[in-house]
Amino acid sequence: MTTGTGDGLPAAPARPRRRHDLTTPVLLGLPLGWLIVFFVVPICFVGAYSVGVLSLFPGAHHLTFTTWHDFLHGSVYLTLFWRSVRMSLIVSVLVVLFAYPLAYFLALSGTKRKYVLLLVLIAPFLTSYLLRVLAWKVILGSNGVLNSLLFWTGLRSPDHPISQLLYSKFAVMLVLGYVWLPFVALPIFVSLESLDRRLLEAASDLGASRWQSFRKITLPLSLPGVAAAFMFVFIPTVGEFVTPSLVGGVTGYMYGNQISDLFGAGLDWQTGSVLSLFLLFVVAGLTLVFSRFLQIGRVTTG
Amino acid sequence: MTHAAITERGMSREEFLRRAAVVGGAGVLAGIGAGRAGAAGLTRFGSAAESGNLQVLDWSGYEVKDLWKQYAVTHPEMKPKFTFMTNEANALGKMRAGLKPDVVHPCVGYVKDFADSGFVQPWSPALIKNLKNLNPAMVRAGQIGGKQWWIPADWGFDKILYRTDKVKPKERSWSLMFDERYKGKIAWFDDLNQLVLAGYYLGFKTPYDQTDAQLKKSQDFLKSKKSLVRMFWSSETDLQTAFAAGEIWIAYAWPADYVAMKAKKLPVAYMQPKEGALSWICGFMLGKDSSRVQAAHAYVDAWSSKQAGSWLETNYAYGAANTTARPSDASLRKALQLDNPKSVSEPLAHIDRYIPRRALYSKMWDEVKAS
Repeated sequence: MTTGTGDGLPAAPARPRRRHDLTTPVLLGLPLGWLIVFFVVPICFVGAYSVGVLSLFPGAHHLTFTTWHDFLHGSVYLTLFWRSVRMSLIVSVLVVLFAYPLAYFLALSGTKRKYVLLLVLIAPFLTSYLLRVLAWKVILGSNGVLNSLLFWTGLRSPDHPISQLLYSKFAVMLVLGYVWLPFVALPIFVSLESLDRRLLEAASDLGASRWQSFRKITLPLSLPGVAAAFMFVFIPTVGEFVTPSLVGGVTGYMYGNQISDLFGAGLDWQTGSVLSLFLLFVVAGLTLVFSRFLQIGRVTTG
Repeated sequence: MTHAAITERGMSREEFLRRAAVVGGAGVLAGIGAGRAGAAGLTRFGSAAESGNLQVLDWSGYEVKDLWKQYAVTHPEMKPKFTFMTNEANALGKMRAGLKPDVVHPCVGYVKDFADSGFVQPWSPALIKNLKNLNPAMVRAGQIGGKQWWIPADWGFDKILYRTDKVKPKERSWSLMFDERYKGKIAWFDDLNQLVLAGYYLGFKTPYDQTDAQLKKSQDFLKSKKSLVRMFWSSETDLQTAFAAGEIWIAYAWPADYVAMKAKKLPVAYMQPKEGALSWICGFMLGKDSSRVQAAHAYVDAWSSKQAGSWLETNYAYGAANTTARPSDASLRKALQLDNPKSVSEPLAHIDRYIPRRALYSKMWDEVKAS
């Protein structure tokens, strides 16, 4: 459509008016903005504290990397970090191994009450976290449920309770495992649920035993769910400090407790920030590696 | 009123006297007011009327009205508004972040840290009437350079609490905290004071200001004995639940814990070690830019009263700085040794004090915990 001007030159073609679609940028922008303001900016502040640009006390302070250097070169905090990672790894692996059969039964047994049972599994979440941890204190204590049972059956004398049940590494790992079990069972359940049953049918038609079809079909296809479940439990437990402070005693002291102490009574925000950022980098790095390796995006098999 | 006005308007004698009375009365009242203000030393802080809520940064549990009853009577429109601190580091962090309390409640070891922080200013002792009843040694602990920076309020001992039916100490000494016979039944306090304690036990002259070599010795000693310890407690609730449940037989504890265990009918003793007990005292400091200075002084005066002190002792089993305060519980009287005025001074007790290298102590203690 041309509109001629008086001097005989051809008019510029009229551009079709396009409505700029703002839906996607807005929908993306809101969570992104939230993330930037409440996550990225505070992390930058923590970073500033870690290098001395910001300081808790008034007075002279300047950019310095000595705290980072001291931390990374054989400090006791680094040893504590690896100890905590080891504890988290053990907890995560054991919980995944325990949750898998649970999720398998829920997803693939064909029981009619599947979702009711799932609700039963998640039910502990409806109570307070603190109450659940404190309940374990009652069970594991020197005069608690377990020890009382041992006294009653005569397996141990009342003067010699098993005191390593509470205020120990064992107690921390047990309670962490118990608390995170539902979190782990869910992703595995989801990935098993979305398994194409026809594949299993086809396998049995072709003569595969139940074990073989599990090993060759179910397990590989559920691995993204397992990987997701593993990350779900590993990442939070590495930085845990509430459970260790309640049931960990002296030996169950973890990296998270150290960070909390440094920011608190330790009055050393600089070292605390270094420790926090180190944890963040390690966990972020591990997550990237894991997700690339096991293709988290395929949790629900299409 | 000019002479002309009086005569020309024909003011009656009664009217003139009435007006003179009003003017004179106003003048007298103004004079009294100024006199009181002058006597109270208001000139230092100005005599602008104070208003608004008194901002108090305090430990949880101290917001109870009985502890500042006198203040509620004298300043009913300036009720205190409480923000809670979990420890001094937390309080400093809050003030650093912009909180401007009129009154803050740190313990004696931090007086110099707070004074240097720039967030507080000294008190005017003349404005606190109950100051004369406070323990003089404690009051002295709050003075820096002749100025009263800190007013003591509550205190307690750090001694050894142990089960008399399960534990037979070899001697009245801190050695019980490091006794091999009771492995797994001991609780230490989660605080760098453990390094100070180690210093006293190892016989150092100035445990609050140890040399590098001494500090290393203390740290190594604690690390070597750590395997005997079941838990480090940071809140009295943790300690009391564990002690009452029989998980712990020996603990670094405050008088309140002794009283609580006795109330649960446990056979316990609160031992005075030969190396001396440690003593904590907490008290009030005045906010630097406070616009409610008069009210702040009144608040601290209320806390320093005998009534508030007795309430504190009876209900929280903490000592009160007011030496005339008495609890209703006999076991607390005994635990606090209230009838022995020398109990809170050397050599029986070592009052917490400024630790010049607190950051280093803190780091060493964190290393003990992390090892």
